[in-house]
Amino acid sequence: MMPPKRSQRAVWLDVLAVVMIVAGSWTLSHGGKSDESVAPIPAEKVADLLHAVIEADRTIYTTHVVERMQEKGITFAAEHWEQRNALPLPAQFLKLAGRLAAESGIGIRYGLISLWPIRSGPTTEFERKGLEAVRTHPERPATSVVTSGRKRYFQAIYADRAVSKACVSCHNTHLLSPKRDFQLNDVMGGIVITIPLDN
Amino acid sequence: MDRPDNQQNRPARWGLKGKLILAMLLVGVFPLLIGLVMAFLQGSQEIREVNGASFEALATETARKLDLVLSDEIARTSRIANDPLIVRALEDRRDRVQVLSEPARQTLTKKSAGQWEARDPAFVKAVTEGRLASLLRQYYTGSELETEQSLPIAIRAATRSLYVTDLTGGLIASINTAAPYHSADSPWWQGAFNKGVGKPYVENLAFDDKLGVYTFTVSLPVMDGIRYQAIGVVHRVYDAKEFLAPTTHPIRFGKTGHAMLIDSDGTVLSCPILPTGVRLADPDLIPLVTQPQPGWVKAPSDGHGGRDTSIIGFATLPETSRITRGSTGRLWHTFVWQSSDELFAPVKHLLTWISVFGLIAVGLLVSLGYVAAVRIVTPIRRLQEIARLIGRGALREPIHIKTGDEIEDLADEIARMNAQLEVAFAGLTDQVELKTQEVQYLQKSTDQILDGVPTPIIMLDQGMGVQYINRASRDTFSLKDLDRNSVGLFELLPLDDPSRERLREEFDALVNEPDHERDGMPSLPRELRDPLAPQRASVTDSARKELHIGLRVYRYEWFQSTGRPGEGQRIGLVLRDTTDESRLQDQLIQAEKLGSLGVLSAGIGHELNNPLFGILGLGEAIQDETDLDQVRSYARDIVQHGKRMATTIRDFTGLARAEGMDRQVQVDINEQLDQALKLAQLAHGGAGLNVQTKYQPLPKTHAVPEELRQVFLNIIANSVQAMQGKGLLSLFTEAKEGMVVVTIRDSGPGIPKPYLQKIFDPFFTTKGQGSGTGLGLTVANRIITKYGGHIQMESEEGHGTLCRIMIPVHGPSHPRGESA
Repeated sequence: MMPPKRSQRAVWLDVLAVVMIVAGSWTLSHGGKSDESVAPIPAEKVADLLHAVIEADRTIYTTHVVERMQEKGITFAAEHWEQRNALPLPAQFLKLAGRLAAESGIGIRYGLISLWPIRSGPTTEFERKGLEAVRTHPERPATSVVTSGRKRYFQAIYADRAVSKACVSCHNTHLLSPKRDFQLNDVMGGIVITIPLDN
Repeated sequence: MDRPDNQQNRPARWGLKGKLILAMLLVGVFPLLIGLVMAFLQGSQEIREVNGASFEALATETARKLDLVLSDEIARTSRIANDPLIVRALEDRRDRVQVLSEPARQTLTKKSAGQWEARDPAFVKAVTEGRLASLLRQYYTGSELETEQSLPIAIRAATRSLYVTDLTGGLIASINTAAPYHSADSPWWQGAFNKGVGKPYVENLAFDDKLGVYTFTVSLPVMDGIRYQAIGVVHRVYDAKEFLAPTTHPIRFGKTGHAMLIDSDGTVLSCPILPTGVRLADPDLIPLVTQPQPGWVKAPSDGHGGRDTSIIGFATLPETSRITRGSTGRLWHTFVWQSSDELFAPVKHLLTWISVFGLIAVGLLVSLGYVAAVRIVTPIRRLQEIARLIGRGALREPIHIKTGDEIEDLADEIARMNAQLEVAFAGLTDQVELKTQEVQYLQKSTDQILDGVPTPIIMLDQGMGVQYINRASRDTFSLKDLDRNSVGLFELLPLDDPSRERLREEFDALVNEPDHERDGMPSLPRELRDPLAPQRASVTDSARKELHIGLRVYRYEWFQSTGRPGEGQRIGLVLRDTTDESRLQDQLIQAEKLGSLGVLSAGIGHELNNPLFGILGLGEAIQDETDLDQVRSYARDIVQHGKRMATTIRDFTGLARAEGMDRQVQVDINEQLDQALKLAQLAHGGAGLNVQTKYQPLPKTHAVPEELRQVFLNIIANSVQAMQGKGLLSLFTEAKEGMVVVTIRDSGPGIPKPYLQKIFDPFFTTKGQGSGTGLGLTVANRIITKYGGHIQMESEEGHGTLCRIMIPVHGPSHPRGESA
């Protein structure tokens, strides 16, 4: 049970970092009435910051937790990690951290989506087009302001590449995977970050 | 002839036939039993493993099937949650509600709840028949699904309730009125809404009081258009049994084998046998069958009330359990089981059949064993009978045994052996007759030899019974032939009691003596005795092995003879008539005594002659001596010579007795030696002697002075006589190691080597008749020995003689007394 606890701790650290960034940006853009000289941070910048943290956390988890533990034979990562008493896959780690961040109530949402999803596909037109865009131009995110009823949100989709052989082999062999010819460094999907713009 | 009796007396035992049958039975039964046990154990093990693996596979397959059913159902319900109409309606409602203040929101909720509880027709109609309710009903009936998909009737029938709440938990649409209005406090609503994040929620089995059935629920969040936040919840209530039974109940095998669904608390969700909602009776079974990974287990109970060992396969519903774990923390598991009686029936049948086969095999083994044993034993018994007849010498018929195997070979060998035995026995009989004749000849010859011996010979057994007497015995003792088997020796020989007693003791000693001492007759202890000592009559009687029978005297000798096997040694007694011989011996002894007396007289003369010549010489010297002092000195010497003569006479009349009576004093040995030298010179003429003396100071010695002087005198006199009055006589004294050593050396002719060892023997002398008694050195040796010393004589013919006398300074504390 130690590896899951360790991963939970990593998820919490990830969430804490995201919350601090969001809270800081929120304070700067909406609550900085006492210091008029501080300009609000654009949503694109906040999304970039968040993406950097999310990406860094997953990379650290992948290289310094999962791979090291697998190399030492201590444990391994598996999709059904709870049943098999294993570590969550890096993608699951990101989604779990995103769920935890959402449940914190600060308003941030992020997650993984793909045009060839095992579980999560695009649910809006922007998400579908954004995935297409980052597939074509993975070097820059697809961004947009979307609405739900009268609420407005900023959404950014960052390209998510197959950075390791484990990613490629898992998606190419999974029963629910619609695409099975991924190559290393292919864009497999995107990290979608949603930031509320209304108070 | 006693063999049949031995056979009759032989204790009861297993015959060869019984042993053969038993051996075949054991050889057959042991492998059979081992085979039966192994077959049973191996069969049971394989059936367990095969059935366990099958049950595991079936449980896994059932779990997968149930998982698909539940996943499909969740997917169908999620379509309701994702329906754009419902999403837009709930987004509008969210926008309207969120602009309200909290009190206004509570007022609105309370009012709507009251209307629902009061079944306000307009409100109820709006909820159950509104646009959203119609949409829900379409999903419920399946008309909203794609045309190629058909909703299973069982699923629709199992749905007891379907409704939608907004983000405050308020009811906004339902297919019936069974739903409560406000659900925000319900676990399922909070779980599905999940603080606005949204999460599928499957509620665990619970008994619904209104519906009267066990239900489980599926709650899915309705997310807004960009899936940012939950804006409502779709809630669906299922009759658990009705929903799950179509999947689990058809899975039956055998009479009792089935699959069931339980949660990780052991609560039955669906089972063809157990009612839904009950908990497994055996709490110890639950952790065994709720493992996260599929498997099978040999459980101590069957979970259905039975306590028999059971094989149970189990598997977890992976996708459903992922949701239930996040919802209630419990997992759902399939459970595949078959009753032990039915499960192990093949093993029991196998055991039964093998047992029957084993019994038949045992019967066959016994029958075949009996037949084989009879076929083997019958010729063997025939051979046994033939051997018995051969042993008796009564075999008259030829041996006919035709078995075509080793027994036939054995019979041929026995026939051959019988023929050889007959030939051998024929020659043996002739040899026995010949040997018997030889024995008879030897016995007759021995009897004739013994009868020819003039000496009586009597053979005795171990009990001193007479076994044989020769003719001389019969003639001597006027006996007839022995007419009895055992006649006592003393019945034949009329002996006095002491003679009988002596014979009996000697006989017993012979019979009881160890074997290594039987090489000769027992001899009486030989003791050296002084011929001058008085003889003891008892010694004479016992030493002489003589018997007085009537007026005759017989010397007898015992001898041993080998007896018959098992009878021990025989003792022989040989009697020799020594009546005349004894008389001659007595006369001879008397003559020896007289001779000894003559020698004794000569010895006395010799001993007395020395001092007498001394007295004569001194007397002649006195006659010519005018010096009165010298005369007195001669007179004193005369007196001493007289004393010496008296001592000599006394010694001859009783040597030891006289010596023992003299008183011992402190003696100066140098002085006594000097006196003895003077006496010798006077007695034997020492004019031509060259005397050398070298006396060292000596300690006093405790002794009788006359005895020591006589010792020295006897030895010096011998030297003077040996040198015939001419030559060198050396006298030395010294004290050494507690002894006084007196050395007397002469230059005489020496003593021949053969005589050297006899010089201390009584009456041994090399001097002529009248010159010596042969007692001088004997007496000297006895005196010195009495004082604990000894005399060494060294001599070489032609080179003189050396006599070394060693006397202890203090002498023995108790000088050796001489009894004679």
